[in-house]
Amino acid sequence: MTPFLTSDRWYDIRDLGNLSSAILEALDKVLPFEVVYILAAVIGFVASFLLFVLPSQLFVGVYGERRLIGRMQSRLGPNRVGPFGLLQPIADAIKLIQKEALTPTQADRAVMYVAPILFVMPAVLLWAVIPFGEHMVIADIPVSLMYFLAVSSLPVIATFMAGWSANNKYSLFGAMRIVSMVISYESPLVLTLLGAVVLTGTISLSGMVAWADEFNIWVVFVQPLALVIYFICVSAELNRTPVDIAEAESEIVAGYLTEYSGMKWGLFYGMDIGYALAASGFITTVFLGGWTFFGLEAWIPGWLIFIAKTYLIYFLFIWTRGTLPRLRADQLMAFAWKFLLPLGVFNLLIVSTERMLWFEQDYAKGLVYVFAAVNIALSAVLVYVWARFNGYRPERTPTRPRLVKQAGGYIPVGERS
Amino acid sequence: MSGVIKSEPFVINIGPQHPSTHGVFRIKATVDGEKVIDAEMVMGYLHRSMEKLAEERTYTQNIPFTDRTDYLSSMSNNLGYCLAVEKLAGIEVPPRGNAIRVIMAELQRLASHCMAVGAFANDTGAWQTPVMWAFREREKILDIFEVTSGARLTCNYMRIGGVAFDLRPEFEPMVRRVLRDFPPFIDEMEGLLSGNEIFIARTKGVGVLTPEMATNASLSGPMLRGSGIAWDIRKADPYCGYEQYDFDIPIGYNGDSYDRFIVRLEEMRQSVRIIQQALDGLPGGPFRTEVPLALRPPKGEAYARIESPRGELGYYLVSDEGPSPYRFHIRPPSFINLSALKEMTVGGTVADAIVVLGSIDIVVGEIDR
Amino acid sequence: MTRELTGSEAAALAEALVPGSVDRTTETACYLKPDRLVETLRALRDDPEANLVHLTNLCGVDYWDHFEVVYHIQSFEKNHLACFKVEAWDREKPEVPSVTPVFHGAWMQECEAYDLFGIQFAGHPNLYRILLWEGYPGWPLRKDFLAMPGGLQPGLGEFAGVARRQEPPVKVIE
Repeated sequence: MTPFLTSDRWYDIRDLGNLSSAILEALDKVLPFEVVYILAAVIGFVASFLLFVLPSQLFVGVYGERRLIGRMQSRLGPNRVGPFGLLQPIADAIKLIQKEALTPTQADRAVMYVAPILFVMPAVLLWAVIPFGEHMVIADIPVSLMYFLAVSSLPVIATFMAGWSANNKYSLFGAMRIVSMVISYESPLVLTLLGAVVLTGTISLSGMVAWADEFNIWVVFVQPLALVIYFICVSAELNRTPVDIAEAESEIVAGYLTEYSGMKWGLFYGMDIGYALAASGFITTVFLGGWTFFGLEAWIPGWLIFIAKTYLIYFLFIWTRGTLPRLRADQLMAFAWKFLLPLGVFNLLIVSTERMLWFEQDYAKGLVYVFAAVNIALSAVLVYVWARFNGYRPERTPTRPRLVKQAGGYIPVGERS
Repeated sequence: MSGVIKSEPFVINIGPQHPSTHGVFRIKATVDGEKVIDAEMVMGYLHRSMEKLAEERTYTQNIPFTDRTDYLSSMSNNLGYCLAVEKLAGIEVPPRGNAIRVIMAELQRLASHCMAVGAFANDTGAWQTPVMWAFREREKILDIFEVTSGARLTCNYMRIGGVAFDLRPEFEPMVRRVLRDFPPFIDEMEGLLSGNEIFIARTKGVGVLTPEMATNASLSGPMLRGSGIAWDIRKADPYCGYEQYDFDIPIGYNGDSYDRFIVRLEEMRQSVRIIQQALDGLPGGPFRTEVPLALRPPKGEAYARIESPRGELGYYLVSDEGPSPYRFHIRPPSFINLSALKEMTVGGTVADAIVVLGSIDIVVGEIDR
Repeated sequence: MTRELTGSEAAALAEALVPGSVDRTTETACYLKPDRLVETLRALRDDPEANLVHLTNLCGVDYWDHFEVVYHIQSFEKNHLACFKVEAWDREKPEVPSVTPVFHGAWMQECEAYDLFGIQFAGHPNLYRILLWEGYPGWPLRKDFLAMPGGLQPGLGEFAGVARRQEPPVKVIE
């Protein structure tokens, strides 16, 4: 059966890259090369950012998250502004713009103003290398994974500036916490990505998607542990709730955001969602096969598949946020160094061995499925054993108190009454 | 290297306006990095001088004041005060009045523990979900209070010699609904939090109170029971006919924040049992003894206490045969439970201090009175 | 049921441990001598027979000419509750010894009694105004706090048919 749409024509909506390529090819004949190059970037930016990222931030990030968390908490969530409350994010934005952007008198004004702007820029830049479809990528550079890692490490500087400049003790707490946390979590994060890189043999995001397409298996099936570790690490870097110690609401008020108000705060809030979305897109691309879906992309536009997967990962972020309590700062560091990092090293060891075996078998296609089965089992065993080794003993914690019939004095543990 | 990195302690004010102090309460914490090395409590922001005001009003007029001390468990506070006046004046309460009081006090315990458990989970960082679930259940109980007494929070329902009104016909089905819904809700909370590894890591071993310290620091309620001391006024000194009901005292293992949490959850289960028994055996007859409006108890003093959701709630009354109490003293459980706060917080981190404060379950209206 | 010890029973317990500590007894309470208070309560706490380990309630009462501090102390194992009292007769500077060294839980309640009655607790590690602010004029729970030169008195007594209380003449505080 042949796909009902012929490929590589400008009207093929399965890949909008075809359309822009057609326009650019037409323009290339009349305009100089440099102008066309810039035009391509502008078209890509407009298409990805204004048509996908910004609406996603507003309607999935702000509205959808509040709505979903509301359902998890047995309440309604925003439902008043517009149909189903859909215009709530816009109303919020208007309110934030109207509000006064306060600066404390003792604060470092310049740094405090620059920090939100610095925080926004990487969130926009991240989308440059994420492929929405086969040709739908703004800059298909061969080292796009490195680029993504480098750019996604930048916002911590902005958050540290924000916490330092406000001259508030809670802000300082938040700033110091986020710096120590990012330092701890950067190493397991990169180690697990190294597993995916060793497996696929490329550091280009498009190359990783092509690998998934070629072998008809997603990286996550061969590298399940890597996805889990990466998800935890990226939650920590993004300050999502189970590990949001930098703005821990119940402890240090709002952390580095304590003294921010108005749109300065709004930029931080909005771009937190932007980073989470970008991380979801990145996970989709590296681990979930990007815009491919085992041949389904021949029928459904690939960018729709990509968006669906991205929202699915984002839903995981929302879910953990609505469920889990927060770890303490020192426990979080211990978790990174004692648990995630060794597991990442183990994972890398396993995947390197497999890669070598695979190379000796001349990249036999069926072998990947064997690796997947082995790795899934091995990951489960590894996580359990390492957790026990690290002192995880669920049976030692009684979740029900002792019951006594008669009032009296102290009853030592182990004594029956 | 030019030298060692120096650090010096600094003071942070946790409160009076802070998301986790549950009101206008302040801890002046001296911290070295994240570690708390000294903690000082500052309170009194909500002081309304109730003990003085009560000396100006008749015994019956004082009942609304007791609503406003511990505003999360007004029924229990009404009950404690009425018991003290009855003890002072030698008034007997009819059986139906006693049974209604028991049902109301236990419903109030459920509502108050809902708040305590939810807010405690919120303090550990479980963002709003447990507290919203708890509020969903608490709402049903507040509806019962509204039907019965006309108010949801400050009920003012107990009277000297009984209760203010008889039960309405809607009352029983509503309570049965709560009894049906509550055990699954407690299991749900247990599934969400009790076995959660992060929750255990945050609360286990945090704010440990040895039984000796808990006794010496005059603690009461779940704080005392969490440390393994089987002490419950309902068992030890039964009032309102608690001796007729079959229930157990939950006690913890080593007196940390986690034990206080599971003790509260289990107490909710026991409360459901008590309400079930009281509702099944609800006697008929009068619900109140007629008491003169300007009651003048004989000269003397009385100390009556009940097991409020937060601990031992005592009222010490001195009468000089006047129409108003000569001395009206409240023994507020959450105020006295704070005596050990410094011992529990010092040595931990700021995050631990918040967890400890949440596990004490303070109500600032009661601390400051 | 918790056995509430009568004054004489409590006095017998106290006398057996610290002879000469009891001042007098009433039906409900046992008055201790202030200078023997700490010693007596410590002995009662440590004695296995009395076992009065839990200081439940501590409060002050103003009786116009003197102050009383009331201690309700209970035992978990014996399940009894005793009421002890001490008196302070100096109205200008009432002072009783602090029991904080014996019962840690007394420190906040003693602060409260100091805050609202102005009773000095000698030996208290950190006596400060816990509910009101430093420099608050007067001691609010004293009976003469509201007394004005015009004769306004605390208490009701104005009800029809109710005789006015027989109270000592009001002292005006500056």
